[in-house]
Amino acid sequence: MSDMKNNLIFELTNVWVEFEKHAIQRRSLRETIGAKLKSAKTEKIHALKNINLKISSGEHIGIIGRNGAGKSTLLKVLCKVIIPTSGSIHQINNYHIAPLLELGIGFQPDLSGRENCYLAGYLIGYTKREIENKLESIIQFSELGDFIDEPVKNYSSGMFARLAFAIATDIEPEVLMIDEVFGVGDEFFMRKCNSRMQKLMEKGTTTIFVSHNLDFLITQSNRLIWVDNGEIILDGNPFEVAEAYRNSENNLKLVVTG
Amino acid sequence: MFTIQNIDTPSFRFAWHLAKSQLKTKYRYTALGYAWNFLEPALFLVILSLVFSVINRMNISDYAVFLFSALIPWRYFEKTVNLVMESIVGGEWLIKKMYVSPYAFAFNRWVTASFEFLFSITVAFALFIFLKEEWTIHLIILPLSIIPWAMLGLGFGLCCSVLYTFFRDVKPFVQMLLTLAFFTSPILFNSNIFEPGSLQAQIMEFHPVTYLASLFQKPIYEAAWPAASDWIISFGFALIFLMLGIHLVNKYKSKFYFYV
Repeated sequence: MSDMKNNLIFELTNVWVEFEKHAIQRRSLRETIGAKLKSAKTEKIHALKNINLKISSGEHIGIIGRNGAGKSTLLKVLCKVIIPTSGSIHQINNYHIAPLLELGIGFQPDLSGRENCYLAGYLIGYTKREIENKLESIIQFSELGDFIDEPVKNYSSGMFARLAFAIATDIEPEVLMIDEVFGVGDEFFMRKCNSRMQKLMEKGTTTIFVSHNLDFLITQSNRLIWVDNGEIILDGNPFEVAEAYRNSENNLKLVVTG
Repeated sequence: MFTIQNIDTPSFRFAWHLAKSQLKTKYRYTALGYAWNFLEPALFLVILSLVFSVINRMNISDYAVFLFSALIPWRYFEKTVNLVMESIVGGEWLIKKMYVSPYAFAFNRWVTASFEFLFSITVAFALFIFLKEEWTIHLIILPLSIIPWAMLGLGFGLCCSVLYTFFRDVKPFVQMLLTLAFFTSPILFNSNIFEPGSLQAQIMEFHPVTYLASLFQKPIYEAAWPAASDWIISFGFALIFLMLGIHLVNKYKSKFYFYV
Protein backbone atom coordinates (compact mmCIF):
# COMPACT_ATOMS: atom_id res chain seq x y z
CA MET A 1 0.00 0.00 0.00
CA SER A 2 3.01 2.31 0.38
CA ASP A 3 3.13 3.05 -3.33
CA MET A 4 -0.34 4.53 -2.94
CA LYS A 5 0.96 7.45 -0.91
CA ASN A 6 0.67 10.91 -2.35
CA ASN A 7 -1.49 9.84 -5.25
CA LEU A 8 -4.30 12.24 -5.85
CA ILE A 9 -7.54 10.42 -5.18
CA PHE A 10 -10.09 13.22 -5.16
CA GLU A 11 -9.96 16.52 -6.98
CA LEU A 12 -12.90 18.88 -6.69
CA THR A 13 -12.89 21.93 -8.97
CA ASN A 14 -15.41 24.76 -8.66
CA VAL A 15 -17.98 22.47 -7.17
CA TRP A 16 -21.38 23.98 -6.42
CA VAL A 17 -24.32 22.17 -4.92
CA GLU A 18 -27.59 23.99 -5.06
CA PHE A 19 -31.19 22.93 -4.97
CA GLU A 20 -34.56 24.56 -5.17
CA LYS A 21 -36.27 25.44 -1.94
CA HIS A 22 -39.56 23.87 -2.93
CA ALA A 23 -37.84 20.50 -3.27
CA ILE A 24 -38.17 20.18 0.46
CA GLN A 25 -41.90 20.69 0.36
CA ARG A 26 -44.12 18.37 -1.60
CA ARG A 27 -45.14 20.04 -4.80
CA SER A 28 -48.22 18.98 -6.66
CA LEU A 29 -48.81 19.28 -10.37
CA ARG A 30 -51.23 22.16 -9.81
CA GLU A 31 -48.70 24.22 -7.86
CA THR A 32 -45.93 23.63 -10.38
CA ILE A 33 -48.05 24.68 -13.35
CA GLY A 34 -49.27 27.68 -11.38
CA ALA A 35 -45.72 28.70 -10.58
CA LYS A 36 -44.61 28.26 -14.18
CA LEU A 37 -47.51 30.33 -15.50
CA LYS A 38 -46.66 33.13 -13.11
CA SER A 39 -42.95 32.76 -14.00
CA ALA A 40 -42.26 32.64 -10.32
CA LYS A 41 -38.59 32.55 -9.46
CA THR A 42 -37.68 29.49 -7.50
CA GLU A 43 -35.58 30.21 -4.47
CA LYS A 44 -32.28 28.40 -4.53
CA ILE A 45 -30.36 27.11 -1.56
CA HIS A 46 -26.60 26.83 -1.94
CA ALA A 47 -25.37 23.93 0.12
CA LEU A 48 -21.82 24.16 -1.26
CA LYS A 49 -20.22 27.13 -2.99
CA ASN A 50 -17.17 27.05 -5.20
CA ILE A 51 -15.37 24.17 -3.52
CA ASN A 52 -11.82 23.51 -4.67
CA LEU A 53 -10.22 20.61 -2.93
CA LYS A 54 -7.51 18.04 -3.50
CA ILE A 55 -7.23 14.91 -1.42
CA SER A 56 -4.26 12.58 -1.69
CA SER A 57 -4.10 9.02 -0.54
CA GLY A 58 -2.82 8.44 2.96
CA GLU A 59 -4.15 11.74 4.28
CA HIS A 60 -6.22 11.84 7.43
CA ILE A 61 -8.67 14.66 7.06
CA GLY A 62 -11.02 16.14 9.59
CA ILE A 63 -13.91 18.38 8.64
CA ILE A 64 -15.42 20.78 11.16
CA GLY A 65 -18.05 23.41 11.02
CA ARG A 66 -21.28 24.50 12.57
CA ASN A 67 -24.51 22.62 12.05
CA GLY A 68 -25.79 23.17 8.56
CA ALA A 69 -22.41 24.41 7.31
CA GLY A 70 -22.22 21.83 4.56
CA LYS A 71 -19.86 19.26 6.09
CA SER A 72 -22.12 16.30 5.43
CA THR A 73 -22.93 17.67 1.99
CA LEU A 74 -19.23 17.79 1.19
CA LEU A 75 -18.80 14.24 2.38
CA LYS A 76 -21.76 13.15 0.32
CA VAL A 77 -20.31 14.79 -2.77
CA LEU A 78 -17.10 12.82 -2.21
CA CYS A 79 -19.12 9.62 -1.83
CA LYS A 80 -21.08 10.41 -4.99
CA VAL A 81 -24.33 10.45 -3.05
CA ILE A 82 -24.90 14.03 -4.17
CA ILE A 83 -24.10 15.04 -7.73
CA PRO A 84 -22.86 18.64 -7.87
CA THR A 85 -24.93 21.16 -9.77
CA SER A 86 -21.75 22.40 -11.44
CA GLY A 87 -18.04 21.87 -11.23
CA SER A 88 -16.09 18.69 -11.60
CA ILE A 89 -14.91 15.84 -9.46
CA HIS A 90 -12.10 13.56 -10.47
CA GLN A 91 -11.80 10.38 -8.52
CA ILE A 92 -9.79 7.19 -8.79
CA ASN A 93 -12.37 4.60 -9.62
CA ASN A 94 -10.96 1.33 -8.52
CA TYR A 95 -10.72 2.19 -4.84
CA HIS A 96 -13.19 0.78 -2.37
CA ILE A 97 -14.74 3.65 -0.54
CA ALA A 98 -16.47 2.74 2.69
CA PRO A 99 -18.79 5.56 3.70
CA LEU A 100 -20.05 5.46 7.25
CA LEU A 101 -22.54 8.26 6.97
CA GLU A 102 -24.80 6.21 9.14
CA LEU A 103 -24.32 2.83 10.67
CA GLY A 104 -25.95 -0.05 8.88
CA ILE A 105 -26.67 1.56 5.53
CA GLY A 106 -28.39 -0.92 3.32
CA PHE A 107 -29.35 -3.23 6.16
CA GLN A 108 -32.58 -5.14 5.62
CA PRO A 109 -34.35 -5.72 8.97
CA ASP A 110 -35.86 -9.07 7.99
CA LEU A 111 -32.59 -10.59 6.87
CA SER A 112 -29.99 -12.14 9.15
CA GLY A 113 -26.70 -10.46 10.05
CA ARG A 114 -24.90 -12.86 7.73
CA GLU A 115 -27.17 -12.06 4.79
CA ASN A 116 -26.75 -8.37 5.49
CA CYS A 117 -22.97 -8.79 5.44
CA TYR A 118 -23.25 -9.99 1.89
CA LEU A 119 -25.59 -7.21 0.84
CA ALA A 120 -23.53 -4.47 2.43
CA GLY A 121 -20.42 -5.96 0.89
CA TYR A 122 -21.98 -5.94 -2.58
CA LEU A 123 -22.96 -2.34 -2.04
CA ILE A 124 -19.41 -1.30 -1.28
CA GLY A 125 -18.32 -3.12 -4.42
CA TYR A 126 -16.99 -6.49 -3.30
CA THR A 127 -17.57 -9.81 -5.01
CA LYS A 128 -19.09 -12.83 -3.30
CA ARG A 129 -15.71 -14.48 -2.88
CA GLU A 130 -14.12 -11.41 -1.34
CA ILE A 131 -16.94 -11.17 1.17
CA GLU A 132 -16.78 -14.86 2.02
CA ASN A 133 -13.08 -14.55 2.78
CA LYS A 134 -13.82 -11.79 5.26
CA LEU A 135 -16.95 -13.25 6.82
CA GLU A 136 -15.25 -15.05 9.71
CA SER A 137 -13.27 -12.06 10.89
CA ILE A 138 -16.35 -9.84 10.61
CA ILE A 139 -18.31 -12.21 12.83
CA GLN A 140 -15.40 -12.32 15.26
CA PHE A 141 -14.97 -8.56 15.50
CA SER A 142 -18.67 -7.97 15.98
CA GLU A 143 -18.78 -10.60 18.77
CA LEU A 144 -22.22 -11.67 17.64
CA GLY A 145 -21.63 -15.43 17.72
CA ASP A 146 -24.81 -17.31 16.84
CA PHE A 147 -26.77 -14.06 16.60
CA ILE A 148 -25.23 -13.56 13.20
CA ASP A 149 -28.01 -15.74 11.81
CA GLU A 150 -30.80 -13.86 13.57
CA PRO A 151 -32.78 -11.18 11.73
CA VAL A 152 -31.14 -7.82 12.21
CA LYS A 153 -34.36 -6.28 13.51
CA ASN A 154 -33.89 -8.32 16.68
CA TYR A 155 -30.49 -6.81 17.39
CA SER A 156 -29.82 -4.25 20.09
CA SER A 157 -28.42 -0.94 18.92
CA GLY A 158 -24.99 -1.96 20.18
CA MET A 159 -25.01 -5.23 18.21
CA PHE A 160 -26.18 -3.35 15.16
CA ALA A 161 -23.38 -0.82 15.53
CA ARG A 162 -20.73 -3.50 15.98
CA LEU A 163 -21.82 -5.41 12.90
CA ALA A 164 -22.08 -2.31 10.74
CA PHE A 165 -18.66 -1.07 11.77
CA ALA A 166 -17.16 -4.53 11.33
CA ILE A 167 -18.43 -4.81 7.77
CA ALA A 168 -17.30 -1.38 6.73
CA THR A 169 -13.82 -1.65 8.15
CA ASP A 170 -12.90 -5.33 8.01
CA ILE A 171 -12.97 -5.20 4.29
CA GLU A 172 -10.01 -2.80 4.44
CA PRO A 173 -11.22 -0.04 2.20
CA GLU A 174 -8.72 2.30 0.64
CA VAL A 175 -10.83 5.25 1.74
CA LEU A 176 -12.90 5.45 4.90
CA MET A 177 -15.36 8.26 5.43
CA ILE A 178 -17.07 8.70 8.77
CA ASP A 179 -19.81 11.15 9.63
CA GLU A 180 -20.23 11.37 13.38
CA VAL A 181 -21.34 7.82 13.92
CA PHE A 182 -19.80 7.25 17.26
CA GLY A 183 -22.70 8.31 19.39
CA VAL A 184 -23.80 4.73 19.62
CA GLY A 185 -21.93 2.00 21.41
CA ASP A 186 -20.38 1.39 24.80
CA GLU A 187 -16.82 2.15 25.80
CA PHE A 188 -15.47 -1.25 24.79
CA PHE A 189 -16.93 -0.76 21.36
CA MET A 190 -15.45 2.73 21.12
CA ARG A 191 -12.03 1.39 22.04
CA LYS A 192 -12.30 -1.43 19.54
CA CYS A 193 -13.36 0.98 16.83
CA ASN A 194 -10.54 3.35 17.64
CA SER A 195 -7.92 0.64 17.58
CA ARG A 196 -9.19 -0.70 14.28
CA MET A 197 -9.21 2.76 12.80
CA GLN A 198 -5.63 3.29 14.01
CA LYS A 199 -4.60 0.07 12.27
CA LEU A 200 -6.26 1.12 9.06
CA MET A 201 -4.67 4.53 9.23
CA GLU A 202 -1.22 3.03 9.81
CA LYS A 203 -1.73 0.78 6.79
CA GLY A 204 -2.28 3.86 4.68
CA THR A 205 -6.07 4.06 4.45
CA THR A 206 -7.19 7.57 3.64
CA THR A 207 -9.64 8.72 6.27
CA ILE A 208 -12.09 11.58 6.23
CA PHE A 209 -13.92 12.36 9.45
CA VAL A 210 -16.72 14.78 10.05
CA SER A 211 -17.14 15.59 13.70
CA HIS A 212 -17.97 18.27 16.22
CA ASN A 213 -15.39 16.84 18.57
CA LEU A 214 -12.38 19.08 17.89
CA ASP A 215 -10.04 17.21 20.21
CA PHE A 216 -10.79 13.95 18.45
CA LEU A 217 -10.13 15.54 15.08
CA ILE A 218 -6.90 17.21 16.16
CA THR A 219 -5.44 13.92 17.34
CA GLN A 220 -6.75 11.81 14.47
CA SER A 221 -6.07 14.00 11.50
CA ASN A 222 -3.08 15.54 9.79
CA ARG A 223 -5.24 18.05 7.94
CA LEU A 224 -8.29 19.94 9.10
CA ILE A 225 -10.85 21.64 6.91
CA TRP A 226 -13.24 24.23 8.30
CA VAL A 227 -16.47 24.52 6.35
CA ASP A 228 -18.94 27.31 6.96
CA ASN A 229 -21.98 28.35 4.98
CA GLY A 230 -21.07 26.00 2.15
CA GLU A 231 -17.54 27.33 1.71
CA ILE A 232 -14.11 26.18 2.83
CA ILE A 233 -12.88 28.82 5.24
CA LEU A 234 -9.57 27.23 6.23
CA ASP A 235 -7.72 24.12 5.19
CA GLY A 236 -4.48 23.00 6.74
CA ASN A 237 -2.68 22.25 9.95
CA PRO A 238 -5.14 20.86 12.51
CA PHE A 239 -3.89 23.04 15.39
CA GLU A 240 -4.04 26.27 13.43
CA VAL A 241 -7.44 25.60 11.94
CA ALA A 242 -8.85 24.45 15.27
CA GLU A 243 -7.54 27.60 16.94
CA ALA A 244 -9.14 29.82 14.32
CA TYR A 245 -12.39 27.89 14.57
CA ARG A 246 -12.45 28.14 18.36
CA ASN A 247 -11.77 31.86 18.18
CA SER A 248 -14.64 32.38 15.84
CA GLU A 249 -16.88 30.45 18.21
CA ASN A 250 -15.77 32.72 21.04
CA ASN A 251 -16.47 35.80 18.96
CA LEU A 252 -19.93 34.51 18.33
CA LYS A 253 -20.50 34.01 22.05
CA LEU A 254 -19.50 37.62 22.65
CA VAL A 255 -21.95 38.82 20.04
CA VAL A 256 -24.75 36.74 21.51
CA THR A 257 -24.18 37.66 25.14
CA GLY A 258 -22.81 41.20 24.57
CA MET B 1 -29.49 12.36 -26.79
CA PHE B 2 -28.16 10.08 -24.12
CA THR B 3 -24.96 8.25 -23.41
CA ILE B 4 -24.62 4.72 -22.26
CA GLN B 5 -22.29 5.04 -19.32
CA ASN B 6 -20.00 2.43 -17.92
CA ILE B 7 -22.22 -0.25 -16.45
CA ASP B 8 -22.05 0.02 -12.69
CA THR B 9 -21.62 -3.65 -11.87
CA PRO B 10 -21.58 -3.43 -8.06
CA SER B 11 -24.91 -1.58 -8.03
CA PHE B 12 -26.56 -4.16 -10.23
CA ARG B 13 -24.99 -7.01 -8.32
CA PHE B 14 -26.42 -5.50 -5.14
CA ALA B 15 -29.83 -4.98 -6.77
CA TRP B 16 -29.92 -8.59 -7.97
CA HIS B 17 -28.99 -10.07 -4.59
CA LEU B 18 -31.43 -7.74 -2.85
CA ALA B 19 -34.20 -9.02 -5.13
CA LYS B 20 -33.30 -12.61 -4.27
CA SER B 21 -33.37 -11.79 -0.55
CA GLN B 22 -36.70 -10.02 -0.92
CA LEU B 23 -38.12 -13.10 -2.61
CA LYS B 24 -37.00 -15.18 0.35
CA THR B 25 -38.63 -12.91 2.90
CA LYS B 26 -41.80 -12.18 0.91
CA TYR B 27 -43.93 -14.96 2.35
CA ARG B 28 -41.70 -15.72 5.31
CA TYR B 29 -44.26 -15.35 8.06
CA THR B 30 -47.12 -17.07 6.26
CA ALA B 31 -48.17 -20.65 6.89
CA LEU B 32 -47.97 -21.69 3.24
CA GLY B 33 -44.68 -19.86 2.71
CA TYR B 34 -42.96 -20.35 -0.63
CA ALA B 35 -46.00 -22.16 -2.07
CA TRP B 36 -47.77 -18.80 -2.29
CA ASN B 37 -45.49 -17.86 -5.19
CA PHE B 38 -47.36 -20.48 -7.23
CA LEU B 39 -50.70 -20.33 -5.44
CA GLU B 40 -51.29 -16.62 -5.91
CA PRO B 41 -51.10 -16.62 -9.73
CA ALA B 42 -52.96 -19.94 -9.88
CA LEU B 43 -55.91 -18.64 -7.87
CA PHE B 44 -56.03 -15.42 -9.84
CA LEU B 45 -56.05 -17.18 -13.21
CA VAL B 46 -58.63 -19.75 -12.23
CA ILE B 47 -61.05 -17.18 -10.79
CA LEU B 48 -60.69 -14.86 -13.75
CA SER B 49 -61.24 -17.55 -16.32
CA LEU B 50 -64.34 -18.83 -14.53
CA VAL B 51 -65.90 -15.37 -14.34
CA PHE B 52 -65.09 -14.25 -17.87
CA SER B 53 -65.90 -17.47 -19.62
CA VAL B 54 -69.47 -16.99 -18.44
CA ILE B 55 -69.55 -13.42 -19.80
CA ASN B 56 -67.82 -14.30 -23.04
CA ARG B 57 -69.98 -17.34 -23.58
CA MET B 58 -67.02 -19.37 -24.71
CA ASN B 59 -66.16 -22.86 -23.77
CA ILE B 60 -64.25 -22.60 -20.47
CA SER B 61 -61.06 -24.44 -21.35
CA ASP B 62 -60.87 -22.72 -24.71
CA TYR B 63 -61.39 -19.28 -23.18
CA ALA B 64 -58.95 -20.01 -20.37
CA VAL B 65 -56.19 -20.69 -22.89
CA PHE B 66 -57.11 -17.54 -24.80
CA LEU B 67 -57.18 -15.45 -21.65
CA PHE B 68 -54.00 -16.75 -20.05
CA SER B 69 -51.94 -16.37 -23.16
CA ALA B 70 -51.89 -12.56 -23.08
CA LEU B 71 -52.92 -12.02 -19.49
CA ILE B 72 -49.68 -13.42 -18.09
CA PRO B 73 -47.38 -11.04 -19.98
CA TRP B 74 -49.81 -8.19 -19.28
CA ARG B 75 -49.67 -8.87 -15.52
CA TYR B 76 -45.88 -8.91 -15.77
CA PHE B 77 -45.91 -5.58 -17.61
CA GLU B 78 -48.39 -4.00 -15.20
CA LYS B 79 -46.49 -5.23 -12.14
CA THR B 80 -43.19 -3.99 -13.57
CA VAL B 81 -44.62 -0.53 -14.24
CA ASN B 82 -46.17 -0.24 -10.78
CA LEU B 83 -43.05 -1.43 -9.00
CA VAL B 84 -40.52 0.48 -11.10
CA MET B 85 -42.60 3.67 -10.91
CA GLU B 86 -42.00 3.85 -7.17
CA SER B 87 -38.43 2.58 -7.32
CA ILE B 88 -36.59 5.89 -7.04
CA VAL B 89 -38.76 7.28 -4.26
CA GLY B 90 -38.77 3.85 -2.61
CA GLY B 91 -34.99 3.86 -2.67
CA GLU B 92 -34.75 6.92 -0.45
CA TRP B 93 -33.29 4.85 2.39
CA LEU B 94 -30.19 4.24 0.29
CA ILE B 95 -30.08 7.11 -2.21
CA LYS B 96 -29.56 9.60 0.60
CA LYS B 97 -26.85 7.63 2.36
CA MET B 98 -24.67 5.85 -0.15
CA TYR B 99 -23.84 5.91 -3.81
CA VAL B 100 -25.85 3.53 -5.92
CA SER B 101 -26.57 3.65 -9.63
CA PRO B 102 -29.81 5.54 -10.37
CA TYR B 103 -30.93 2.46 -12.30
CA ALA B 104 -30.29 0.03 -9.46
CA PHE B 105 -33.71 0.26 -7.85
CA ALA B 106 -35.56 0.05 -11.13
CA PHE B 107 -33.49 -3.03 -11.96
CA ASN B 108 -34.19 -4.52 -8.53
CA ARG B 109 -37.94 -4.07 -8.94
CA TRP B 110 -37.86 -5.33 -12.51
CA VAL B 111 -36.10 -8.50 -11.31
CA THR B 112 -38.77 -8.95 -8.62
CA ALA B 113 -41.53 -8.64 -11.24
CA SER B 114 -39.62 -11.05 -13.48
CA PHE B 115 -39.50 -13.66 -10.72
CA GLU B 116 -43.28 -13.34 -10.35
CA PHE B 117 -43.67 -13.72 -14.10
CA LEU B 118 -41.64 -16.93 -14.07
CA PHE B 119 -43.90 -18.35 -11.36
CA SER B 120 -47.00 -17.29 -13.31
CA ILE B 121 -45.91 -18.77 -16.60
CA THR B 122 -45.05 -22.03 -14.87
CA VAL B 123 -48.51 -22.16 -13.34
CA ALA B 124 -50.11 -21.27 -16.68
CA PHE B 125 -48.32 -24.08 -18.47
CA ALA B 126 -49.25 -26.49 -15.71
CA LEU B 127 -52.88 -25.51 -16.28
CA PHE B 128 -52.46 -25.76 -20.06
CA ILE B 129 -51.65 -29.44 -19.65
CA PHE B 130 -55.27 -29.90 -18.60
CA LEU B 131 -56.79 -27.32 -20.92
CA LYS B 132 -54.95 -27.57 -24.21
CA GLU B 133 -55.54 -30.44 -26.54
CA GLU B 134 -52.65 -29.95 -28.88
CA TRP B 135 -49.20 -28.53 -28.45
CA THR B 136 -47.51 -27.05 -31.45
CA ILE B 137 -43.96 -26.00 -32.30
CA HIS B 138 -45.08 -22.33 -32.18
CA LEU B 139 -44.61 -22.27 -28.42
CA ILE B 140 -40.87 -22.18 -29.01
CA ILE B 141 -41.07 -18.49 -29.92
CA LEU B 142 -42.38 -17.47 -26.50
CA PRO B 143 -39.01 -16.63 -24.87
CA LEU B 144 -38.58 -14.06 -27.65
CA SER B 145 -42.17 -12.85 -27.27
CA ILE B 146 -41.65 -11.76 -23.68
CA ILE B 147 -38.71 -9.49 -24.49
CA PRO B 148 -40.67 -6.49 -25.83
CA TRP B 149 -43.04 -6.76 -22.85
CA ALA B 150 -40.11 -6.69 -20.44
CA MET B 151 -38.47 -3.78 -22.25
CA LEU B 152 -41.70 -1.81 -22.40
CA GLY B 153 -42.42 -2.40 -18.72
CA LEU B 154 -38.95 -1.29 -17.72
CA GLY B 155 -38.91 1.68 -20.11
CA PHE B 156 -42.38 2.96 -19.28
CA GLY B 157 -41.68 2.28 -15.60
CA LEU B 158 -38.47 4.33 -15.75
CA CYS B 159 -40.33 7.26 -17.34
CA CYS B 160 -43.00 7.08 -14.65
CA SER B 161 -40.42 6.75 -11.88
CA VAL B 162 -38.75 10.01 -12.86
CA LEU B 163 -42.10 11.81 -13.13
CA TYR B 164 -43.32 10.29 -9.87
CA THR B 165 -40.24 11.60 -8.03
CA PHE B 166 -41.26 15.14 -8.87
CA PHE B 167 -45.05 14.79 -9.06
CA ARG B 168 -46.65 12.21 -6.83
CA ASP B 169 -49.92 12.74 -8.70
CA VAL B 170 -48.50 10.60 -11.49
CA LYS B 171 -49.26 7.33 -9.73
CA PRO B 172 -53.09 7.40 -9.89
CA PHE B 173 -52.92 8.68 -13.47
CA VAL B 174 -50.71 5.84 -14.56
CA GLN B 175 -52.84 3.25 -12.82
CA MET B 176 -55.94 4.57 -14.55
CA LEU B 177 -54.11 4.59 -17.87
CA LEU B 178 -53.10 0.97 -17.40
CA THR B 179 -56.66 -0.01 -16.50
CA LEU B 180 -57.94 1.77 -19.60
CA ALA B 181 -55.30 0.13 -21.78
CA PHE B 182 -56.21 -3.27 -20.41
CA PHE B 183 -59.94 -3.04 -20.97
CA THR B 184 -59.64 -1.64 -24.48
CA SER B 185 -57.20 -4.34 -25.57
CA PRO B 186 -57.88 -7.84 -26.89
CA ILE B 187 -56.60 -9.56 -23.76
CA LEU B 188 -60.00 -10.21 -22.19
CA PHE B 189 -62.08 -9.99 -25.32
CA ASN B 190 -61.19 -11.58 -28.59
CA SER B 191 -61.17 -8.81 -31.17
CA ASN B 192 -63.38 -10.84 -33.51
CA ILE B 193 -66.41 -10.28 -31.28
CA PHE B 194 -66.55 -6.72 -32.57
CA GLU B 195 -67.98 -5.75 -35.95
CA PRO B 196 -65.19 -4.87 -38.38
CA GLY B 197 -65.16 -1.10 -38.82
CA SER B 198 -66.89 -0.45 -35.52
CA LEU B 199 -65.32 1.90 -32.98
CA GLN B 200 -64.17 -0.94 -30.74
CA ALA B 201 -62.52 -2.73 -33.64
CA GLN B 202 -60.75 0.44 -34.69
CA ILE B 203 -59.46 1.06 -31.18
CA MET B 204 -58.05 -2.43 -31.14
CA GLU B 205 -56.35 -1.92 -34.47
CA PHE B 206 -54.47 1.14 -33.24
CA HIS B 207 -53.87 -0.16 -29.76
CA PRO B 208 -50.20 -1.05 -29.23
CA VAL B 209 -51.14 -3.78 -26.77
CA THR B 210 -53.00 -5.61 -29.56
CA TYR B 211 -49.69 -6.29 -31.27
CA LEU B 212 -47.84 -7.12 -28.07
CA ALA B 213 -50.63 -9.51 -27.11
CA SER B 214 -50.45 -11.22 -30.52
CA LEU B 215 -46.92 -12.32 -29.72
CA PHE B 216 -48.46 -14.64 -27.16
CA GLN B 217 -51.98 -15.21 -28.41
CA LYS B 218 -50.94 -16.39 -31.86
CA PRO B 219 -48.49 -19.10 -30.82
CA ILE B 220 -50.51 -20.31 -27.81
CA TYR B 221 -54.13 -19.92 -28.86
CA GLU B 222 -54.10 -19.81 -32.65
CA ALA B 223 -51.11 -22.11 -33.23
CA ALA B 224 -49.65 -19.59 -35.62
CA TRP B 225 -46.50 -17.50 -35.88
CA PRO B 226 -46.81 -13.81 -34.97
CA ALA B 227 -46.71 -11.52 -38.00
CA ALA B 228 -43.74 -9.32 -38.84
CA SER B 229 -45.86 -6.27 -38.03
CA ASP B 230 -46.48 -7.66 -34.54
CA TRP B 231 -42.73 -7.88 -33.91
CA ILE B 232 -41.87 -4.54 -35.46
CA ILE B 233 -44.55 -2.59 -33.61
CA SER B 234 -43.91 -4.34 -30.31
CA PHE B 235 -40.14 -3.92 -30.33
CA GLY B 236 -40.37 -0.42 -31.76
CA PHE B 237 -42.77 0.73 -29.08
CA ALA B 238 -40.70 -0.91 -26.36
CA LEU B 239 -37.43 0.58 -27.58
CA ILE B 240 -38.87 4.08 -27.72
CA PHE B 241 -39.98 3.95 -24.12
CA LEU B 242 -36.78 2.30 -22.95
CA MET B 243 -34.65 4.98 -24.56
CA LEU B 244 -36.92 7.70 -23.21
CA GLY B 245 -36.75 6.22 -19.73
CA ILE B 246 -32.96 6.01 -19.76
CA HIS B 247 -32.76 9.57 -21.09
CA LEU B 248 -35.01 10.92 -18.34
CA VAL B 249 -33.08 9.15 -15.58
CA ASN B 250 -29.78 10.47 -16.94
CA LYS B 251 -31.12 13.98 -17.23
CA TYR B 252 -32.65 14.27 -13.79
CA LYS B 253 -30.55 11.94 -11.64
CA SER B 254 -28.73 14.79 -9.94
CA LYS B 255 -32.05 16.01 -8.51
CA PHE B 256 -33.29 12.70 -7.12
CA TYR B 257 -31.45 13.22 -3.84
CA PHE B 258 -33.40 16.40 -3.12
CA TYR B 259 -36.81 15.20 -4.21
CA VAL B 260 -37.09 11.69 -2.79
